Amino acid sequence: MKSKNRSIFIISFLVLPLIHLIIFSYVPIIGNFVLSLTNWKGFGDIQFIGMRNYQRMFTNTEYIKMFKNCGWYFLAAIPQLIFALLLAVVINGKFRGLNVFKGILIIPYLLNGVIISTIFIIFFNNGGSLNAILEWLHLDGLKHQWLQDLKLVNPAIASISIWRYYGMNFIMFFGALQAIPTELFEAATLDGCTKWQEIRYISIPFIRKVLFINILLSVSGSIQVFEIPYIMMNGSNGTGTPVIMIQQSMSTNRVGFAAALSVMVFVIVLIVVGLQKLLVKED
Amino acid sequence: MSNETKLYKVIRYVFLIAACIFVIIPLVPLIFMAFKTGAEYSSTSVLEPPKNFLNTYNFAYAIRVGKLGRAFIYTAIILTISLFFQVTMTAMVAYVLHRFDFMFKKAVKIMFTLTMFIPVVATQNLIFRMMYAVGLVNTMWSVIILYSGVGIVGIYIMLNQLDNISREIDEAAMIDGAGYYYTFLHIIFPLMKPACTTMIIINGIGLYNDFYIPNLYLNRDVQTFTVALYKFFGSMSTPFEIVAAAIIIGMIPIMIVFIFLQKYIYNGLAGSVKM
Repeated sequence: MKSKNRSIFIISFLVLPLIHLIIFSYVPIIGNFVLSLTNWKGFGDIQFIGMRNYQRMFTNTEYIKMFKNCGWYFLAAIPQLIFALLLAVVINGKFRGLNVFKGILIIPYLLNGVIISTIFIIFFNNGGSLNAILEWLHLDGLKHQWLQDLKLVNPAIASISIWRYYGMNFIMFFGALQAIPTELFEAATLDGCTKWQEIRYISIPFIRKVLFINILLSVSGSIQVFEIPYIMMNGSNGTGTPVIMIQQSMSTNRVGFAAALSVMVFVIVLIVVGLQKLLVKED
Repeated sequence: MSNETKLYKVIRYVFLIAACIFVIIPLVPLIFMAFKTGAEYSSTSVLEPPKNFLNTYNFAYAIRVGKLGRAFIYTAIILTISLFFQVTMTAMVAYVLHRFDFMFKKAVKIMFTLTMFIPVVATQNLIFRMMYAVGLVNTMWSVIILYSGVGIVGIYIMLNQLDNISREIDEAAMIDGAGYYYTFLHIIFPLMKPACTTMIIINGIGLYNDFYIPNLYLNRDVQTFTVALYKFFGSMSTPFEIVAAAIIIGMIPIMIVFIFLQKYIYNGLAGSVKM
């Protein structure tokens, strides 16, 4: 009797979350694989067309460019991670103004995509702050139409992700550093370790795992870029990304093609995660 | 005692102040702009402060025309219901996984973990069709249902908390004749309050700021604040100084969180890393 009650209890606590999980995560992923082989419009008959959606994705230069655009966001992640790591290392200690710095540095992490897009339209616009600052510094030669110039627009808006996302990396690095036992630092000081040696031989090795997680998050994040180019540019001027394309295909009822794009994004994320497993095992 | 040399201290301050300037510079023109009149905006540089910092015309206009008040209410309803389900269901899953051994326990854990690798954007194509078929698109229920799932990060926050709640408490309750449900609801769940708080704050910020899901599912009369701001901003007819004021209004709830709950954000996110 008791074990029956126990089973009922366990099942009753798991059933809703598991149903949610299956309907909203597993069914769509498997469904997308099937739909990506069709030209379904969202209504009417489903017609299988083999790999034609994928063929189109890989032969049309417009679509290839969208995947290439993700490269800019990946590049932006490099200074972003270095900046976040340096910040976490120097802020890890006790000094005057610590809480003020922590407070200001967390602001970008708290803002949403619409707010950040508006802020950076004001920043990059022709009469915007970046050009005004360059003029003030007498660097008129560097002034550009940042959002209209087809060569500059992608690096410009990709650089926004440094400002937007460094905060999350910083908080994670900082948390990892705080978890290092203080005795280690005390012992190092007693042994006459300099601050630089301490950072090099204690702090950095200790947070390697978190550093690695953050690199992977950045890579899988850059394939899923959506908000900033969508809100700021609506994907125009060659700023489209795969997710913007998914959105546009969905709204024009090209369900089959949207499914193929979704599968592509999913596969790339899986490859990144797989690489992580491989590299971690080598450690 | 410290091994921080004077040089290191100077470098630290220089670096931190530079970082703060990097954060603040893009924000300043926005704040200036929100207080400028239309004529002032078109005739002055974005770096020039407004003549009158008490000019609240833009704010009043934004609230009136942008229907921001209504969007705030919808956001509050969506957040409250979603967070309620998220937190209670996550606590339930974590409790069962932590305290009981059962068949398929490993499989259940793996199923929750794997979702971490399924990008939300790669699933909505089909989910949108499902929601459309049952008539939930353009109602707040589509968003609430999508938000009410159990995430692996939340599970880990709860599991960490359960590590610190002695099993003897459960056993004592059971010996006293309490059933499984009573034990969880009246004894263990109240003890999990700190983990629930952390989850509410971290996930609350995430949901408040989410754009992708509400933009996809809510389009006409029902809007979250983020989407309302976007519609406002996307309509070319809105003067930019009004948009700036609306944006500042959108930042207020976040700034309140920032002032009062900063500690939880640092500790909560750091805690989820230790998993």
